[in-house]
Amino acid sequence: MKAFLASWLMFVFVPIPLTAQVPARLPRTADGKPDLNGIWQSLNTAAWDLEDHSGALHTPPGQGVAEGGEIPYRPEAIKKKAENFAGREKYDLAETACYMPGVPRAMYMPYPFEIILTPKLIEMNFTFAHARRNIIADGTPHPDGFPDFWMGDSRGRWEGDILVVDVKNLDERTWLDHAGNYHSDALHVVERYTMIDPTHIQYEATLEDPKVFTRPWKINMTLYKILDKNAKILEYECVYYLQDEKYGNAKPVVVSK
Amino acid sequence: MKTIAIVTLAFVTALLVDAQEQKWVAPRTSDDHPDMQGAWARRGTRIQEANGPVSPLGEFSNTGQPYPTIFNTGVATALDRATLAAQKTGVVDPADRVLPWRPDADAARREFIRHMIPPASLKYVEPTARCVLPGPVDGDDRSPFFIVQRPGSFVLAYEYNHVTRVIYTDGRPHVGKKLRFFMGDSIGRWEGDTLVVDTTNFNDKTSLAQTIPYHSEELHTAERFTRVSPNLIEYQLTLEDPKLFTTPIKVAGYFAAAPKDTEPMEFACVEGSQTLPNVFGIEFAPTR
Repeated sequence: MKAFLASWLMFVFVPIPLTAQVPARLPRTADGKPDLNGIWQSLNTAAWDLEDHSGALHTPPGQGVAEGGEIPYRPEAIKKKAENFAGREKYDLAETACYMPGVPRAMYMPYPFEIILTPKLIEMNFTFAHARRNIIADGTPHPDGFPDFWMGDSRGRWEGDILVVDVKNLDERTWLDHAGNYHSDALHVVERYTMIDPTHIQYEATLEDPKVFTRPWKINMTLYKILDKNAKILEYECVYYLQDEKYGNAKPVVVSK
Repeated sequence: MKTIAIVTLAFVTALLVDAQEQKWVAPRTSDDHPDMQGAWARRGTRIQEANGPVSPLGEFSNTGQPYPTIFNTGVATALDRATLAAQKTGVVDPADRVLPWRPDADAARREFIRHMIPPASLKYVEPTARCVLPGPVDGDDRSPFFIVQRPGSFVLAYEYNHVTRVIYTDGRPHVGKKLRFFMGDSIGRWEGDTLVVDTTNFNDKTSLAQTIPYHSEELHTAERFTRVSPNLIEYQLTLEDPKLFTTPIKVAGYFAAAPKDTEPMEFACVEGSQTLPNVFGIEFAPTR
């Protein structure tokens, strides 16, 4: 019995190296990349407010995900943020009109999304507003002369085991959260997806927008893999529900003839 | 003699080349299925019925050109061209394109479409004009479609209204019967080199054509995707809806390769559409 215990103790206390940044035993795709395929979701309250916020009606409390606690607004930008906050139930287009939420907000909406990883094209399929990101990973840069997109133009590359996505051409009408944190059309986002174990991705995004912020700043959060059997992205056709509510009993005013 | 030999040789070579082309096998994915990945332009899948009512939306229809294919650019191979020439499009069963309507259902939809222009109420607005998901047939052919494959699933990403169909081929069953979707619930399986997709769980809120403005929740579709030549995917769609039709109907179409380097762009719909505000005089999104 003692010997049995001893052998177990030996087994338990085998030293595990703690220095490795990325564990070696990640699931990998056929071409050797960390296998980010699957359905993921953040489990924080960043969609309500990126900064620290106490609870309120329909707002779960949360600790901020912005590094350093506060978003470094330029002095003149703080006023607009305050106006946005005051008018958020009307002017937050993702929540009030079911518009695509933009990047990075799509990554922490409280709905699951799916990553479809292939060598040259990475698709992200979001429950919310059936939004999609097409991340081009064939080495091409952002094209010149593109218009702004609600979900931006995303170009991906691998730095070792970390997927780095560079996002530009972001439409200034999207907000960063429901608290009215915002950006301009100069926003440049660099995302880093680090798979820390088979079911967790550490997600970091650096936001640079000299028209609104005094310096680049970062958000940092964990994405959790949905492991439920047969999980899939289901339809949340927000636009339809909202139109039914808004126009369902309305009579047309235009006679087209 | 020499001439005869050369002619014979040329003839035999031609036969061999022909035989090789006939034996064309699609490139494979890592899990050994035909690789259909890339950008495609869809053709021919519209349901145009003979003896149907006139489209109520006629003058409001989209008239733009469908997304170009490589056949417009001259890159297609001889096999592509031969295969393309053999492709059927549109309703193929029934052959005369007279759809097997149940009389009561036919009368009901003819009555319905009389109220579409101008729409008598929201329910008569053509669904894609509302920017909602387009259902099993629609999807704007002026935009490309992207196919992405990975072991266990086949993804059809429309540029149009950023519709994404993730079709699992891992043997899982359909979702529960109470779940209803605009795009239905699709499950795929490989029959040799053909992907067969079975779709159920539709809601009744999408149209099948301008003159078939709705279908029932009993709609059930089967689709077949076969890569038949380097730049062509053959497509078949069978629709069964016992509340509309007495027998299933079959539509044929194809996906032709889009020009090289076609990238998915963003097709925002509700974010820019003024259809409902114009019809109902109510702003959809508040503006400051």
